[in-house]
Amino acid sequence: MRQYFKNIYEAIATILVGMGVTWRHLFTRAVTVQYPHVKRELPERSRMQLFVEMDDCIGCMACQRACPVDCIDIKTVRAGKEEDLGETSNGQKKRLHVVQFNIDMGKCCYCSDCVFPCPTGAIRMTPEYEFTTYDRSSLLFKFATYTPEQISELQERERKEKEAQAAARAAKLKAAEEAKKAAAKNDETKSE
Amino acid sequence: MKKSNIPESQFELQVPESLKTEEMTISMGPQHPSTHGVLQVILKTDGEIINSAKPQIGYLHRCFEKHAENITWHQVIPFTDRLDYIASMNNNLGYVIGIERMMNLEVNERAEHLRVVVSELNRIASHLIALGTYGLDIGAFTPFLYVFRDREKILDLFEEISGARLLYNYIWVGGVAYDAPEGWREKVLEFCDYFEPKIKEYNDILTYNKIFIERTANVGVIPAEVGISYGVSGPSLRGSGVNFDLRKDDPYSIYDRFDFNVVVGKGEMGTVGDTWDRYWVRVDEMVESVKIIRQALENLPEGDAKETVPRNIKVPAGEYYMRTETPRGELGFYIISDGSKMPNRVKVRSPAFCNLSVLQAIAPGVMIADLVAIIGSLDIVLGEVDR
Repeated sequence: MRQYFKNIYEAIATILVGMGVTWRHLFTRAVTVQYPHVKRELPERSRMQLFVEMDDCIGCMACQRACPVDCIDIKTVRAGKEEDLGETSNGQKKRLHVVQFNIDMGKCCYCSDCVFPCPTGAIRMTPEYEFTTYDRSSLLFKFATYTPEQISELQERERKEKEAQAAARAAKLKAAEEAKKAAAKNDETKSE
Repeated sequence: MKKSNIPESQFELQVPESLKTEEMTISMGPQHPSTHGVLQVILKTDGEIINSAKPQIGYLHRCFEKHAENITWHQVIPFTDRLDYIASMNNNLGYVIGIERMMNLEVNERAEHLRVVVSELNRIASHLIALGTYGLDIGAFTPFLYVFRDREKILDLFEEISGARLLYNYIWVGGVAYDAPEGWREKVLEFCDYFEPKIKEYNDILTYNKIFIERTANVGVIPAEVGISYGVSGPSLRGSGVNFDLRKDDPYSIYDRFDFNVVVGKGEMGTVGDTWDRYWVRVDEMVESVKIIRQALENLPEGDAKETVPRNIKVPAGEYYMRTETPRGELGFYIISDGSKMPNRVKVRSPAFCNLSVLQAIAPGVMIADLVAIIGSLDIVLGEVDR
């Protein structure tokens, strides 16, 4: 019986202690932020949205290789011999047309592993976090500035160049083979 | 036609001679709010008393181990984040130290200190969630808000140093991803000063609350032998009075340099190893973590934390088992390398999985409401149970 009343007393006493804590909290400032109206400034390093400075991209695909979830898709076309694509901000010469630089933010795991291997600092994480959409396909960010016509033109040119190269190589091979045959014949005639 | 048991009017109510009773099977979860994620427990109950409880896992299986076989050594680190997603720093640390020991890599002193600081901060953050959600399971809502307020401060510190709030990818092979920004050390010290009095607040509002004690003391007792034989580790095992802490018993990183106590359950409110003891171990461990953080920051050397990060990770062929103390217990990475640029196999011994397995042993005979208290006190994270 005594234990029964003791329990009741303890329960009430400890609840009052707890209520004291909440009572004190009534007079402290609120820590919540009314989000859409008030926006907290994020630190510089915040990893939110990926951004690519296309003027600096040299198309080395280091970021694509570093990505653990394969969310970056790059396509490049080799520049012509007399073409000048300019330089990046840290003085590297650009030798490739980056005709496609797609980042699927729906796949991205925000690890920022792509940021570190970039030799020119073109790809980076920005503190921009409000990019929610209603459609998953609009999370595919396209950074390349080439129009489809330009791309097909460049690819056509590359194909032709490659064909020409392959033809040249084949001709070279053939010539080498013929020379070999001739040499073999010569040997035969000599041994005879 | 079988005659219905339901009487036509209340005056004809008759108790049948042998009231037919049977075991009822209830599936608790996977959407049950107090199973801490997508855990399903198949309960066989006799009224309110549980006869058997079988955890059904696998709802959050994401093939970590298979993924790890197909990506490079470094790319595995973001995946380890997602094992135990509320203590990501500790997961990074275990995997990374395993590789470093295979490579015989010396790590920069500053990086080592930063690693200890962030993993202890993460331990506090994880224990705070454990306390808050445990109170929520029992029915105390207010402490939950208070612990989230304080956890938010830790997340802000993490955001400043690593750029992310939950999945950090911060601890790298050979060092850390970023050096601490200017003024970060002072901010952490400021947080320590702020945090220590808050622990008393939690004690006032939840720990020593009589109702809370009545709900948790003498419930779900794990005797030390049972805990050890089921492979329980971490605060759940220390609650049973076993002094087992890998930071002391198998020191890794620079934990052997710090002075801290291993908290063990003493059965203050009831039996040794009850849910209250496990809860109390977590509260007291936060105090110890603050101690470690203070010591690490005091001796934080100057230097470049990224100095020893290798350009290419070349792990020699061989195998290694690395175990670290995460907020949930012994997290082991069994790493097999064949000398190539990808791991051959990374097996995870996850503490939450082993801690959950003890549920079958201690659940029979308790009430359904107490099962909620037991699951909460084991502090499982389903991301780690299923991997």
